Amino acid sequence: MTVDTLTPNAPTGSPLLTAKGVTKRFGGLTAVNDVDIHVNEGEVIGLIGPNGSGKTTLFDCLSRVQTPEEGSVQFRGQDITNKRPHKVAHLGLARTFQVIRVYRELTVLENLELSLQWKNVPMSKRMLRPGKAVTDKAEKLMDFLLLTRLRDDRAGALSGGQRRLLELGMSLMSDPKLVLLDEATSGVNPSLVEEIKDRIRTVNKELGISFLLVEHDIRFVKDLCSRVVVLNYGQKLAEGSPESIMENRAVIEAYFGADGDEESTVIDDGKVSS
Amino acid sequence: MNLISFLNSPAAKKLGWALCGLAVAGMAILPMTHFGSNAELFTLTLMLTSIGVAINWNITGGFTGYVDFGHAVWFGLGAYVTSMLMAISIKLDPVTLEETVEADGLGTAWGPVPAIIVGALFTGLCAAGIGRATMRLKGPYFSIAMLGTLVAVREIVRVAEPITGGGVGLNLPPYINRPLFYYIHLVLVVVLGVFTWWLRKSQFGTNLIAIREDEIGAEMRGINTIATKVAAFSFSGFSTAVFGGLWAYQNTSVDPDIAFIETRTIDAVLGTLFGGIGTVLGPILGSAGLFWLKEVLWARFTESHLIFQGVLLILLVMYMPKGIAGLFDTRGTSLATIWSKWMPSKDESPDASPTPKSGSGKPVVDTVATSNEGAV
Repeated sequence: MTVDTLTPNAPTGSPLLTAKGVTKRFGGLTAVNDVDIHVNEGEVIGLIGPNGSGKTTLFDCLSRVQTPEEGSVQFRGQDITNKRPHKVAHLGLARTFQVIRVYRELTVLENLELSLQWKNVPMSKRMLRPGKAVTDKAEKLMDFLLLTRLRDDRAGALSGGQRRLLELGMSLMSDPKLVLLDEATSGVNPSLVEEIKDRIRTVNKELGISFLLVEHDIRFVKDLCSRVVVLNYGQKLAEGSPESIMENRAVIEAYFGADGDEESTVIDDGKVSS
Repeated sequence: MNLISFLNSPAAKKLGWALCGLAVAGMAILPMTHFGSNAELFTLTLMLTSIGVAINWNITGGFTGYVDFGHAVWFGLGAYVTSMLMAISIKLDPVTLEETVEADGLGTAWGPVPAIIVGALFTGLCAAGIGRATMRLKGPYFSIAMLGTLVAVREIVRVAEPITGGGVGLNLPPYINRPLFYYIHLVLVVVLGVFTWWLRKSQFGTNLIAIREDEIGAEMRGINTIATKVAAFSFSGFSTAVFGGLWAYQNTSVDPDIAFIETRTIDAVLGTLFGGIGTVLGPILGSAGLFWLKEVLWARFTESHLIFQGVLLILLVMYMPKGIAGLFDTRGTSLATIWSKWMPSKDESPDASPTPKSGSGKPVVDTVATSNEGAV
């Protein structure tokens, strides 16, 4: 398996995404409260926290689906706090969604072709069919993500796990610098989880694409991430290596003592399940 | 091979296109045969007009997923601006009985070609401006806003009497040449049909479908959704206005109630649903079929044909949501699918991650990404 059609980044370890004091409120509820987070080039960062801790809202603020009330977000040295989402996408920030967003009425191939951002393509070419180069790239990615035999199937006909893979492929189509993965493994069977893990690692090592991932599978986070950020009630609870986080008293309390939350959360065999 | 699998095969698709080619060829030679009387040609021209409007409606309603209930406003605007540029009034001197022709409307008394072009361009601009505002609304809210636009524009035209002639309307220089109008409409519809076929294949068209399927996702994947959908809407308005302008010229007079009649929207929606919303051939087959039904069957029930129309709409939405084309092409969509995205409902996909929905008692911030708030 090769990913040589994608353009590799040269990771320098310099800051890629820096968010400072991000705050987002919904009425009386402060979903994200004064959170600082940064991702350096080439890093895979985990973002964990109990249900309702503001992980997805933070993702939304970073990728500009939501506008944070306070704070600033810098990506590749540019302030993106008030940029339109497609502009942010053009800068090289891709994301997937907790509730899968693929175009159900389009085929797998069309879904991938569509996700190329066209940032360097002149207006005249945008009106035409995607060129051979685009299709080739989409086919390489399908091969990489085990989707080749589903090439002409409607995305709506795929299984949950296949859609997760497709969404990952869509986010990789545009040669991103950073991918925000929102629960890439939820609803995916264990063997496919291993595949997804393997693909993320390959893409990160070979292409230097950075990842920020929201995950409930602690083992997945431990295997992939070099650093973990923990959110609770919209605030940053802890940050550090996966090992140090696993032993952090406050983190364990946040997961165990989810006060009054109807869904009890248990750490079992290194895996947090709710 | 049963019927359904045959209809879904590539052979059926080829057969379908061959039949379309044959139909166009047949319509092209029709005026030269003895069936091509002026009355027949006039009826067929009106049919082509309704096909053209439906194709344009389908670009916004079917491809982009913005179901426009006020689409007749673009037809009416095209008709009115064309008329205002061309209008004349004939005055009869009561003593000498001499007729004098004066320019009316804007007082320009242009020829038809520049008037129709300027009318369509003006309408395209209006559509861009109005679309920029109304397309912030989603689903049924957009539909209602456009219905309001239709009513508002009609009343504005009625009030702006000095240039529009008010409720009485305007007269155009009479010019009757049925075969010419027929051929112009035939060429326009064929060009528009080929254009939508190409559009559906093009990257721009795929972007429109992406907006219909998931607007936030499309924006996140680098599609400038506002520019894309407003461009499509503006083109749709422009192209509808061409048919409006031609209709006004052919009709030799306009007034607000006939130019901005709601039925024109209903026909476009109904025809497109009948044929298959979101497909290339759908609005063409559907509008032609609907027009034929109206002419042949419903002409006998002058008073009650609207009842048939309403019942047909209900039956279509219930039993044939993907229309005629839905039998051939499984990739069409339905009005219910387009709107379901904006309706509070249970998650339709059983294998999606079990996420609690906001509004289920406790505020769950994890799911706000699916809400419309903060959408562009």
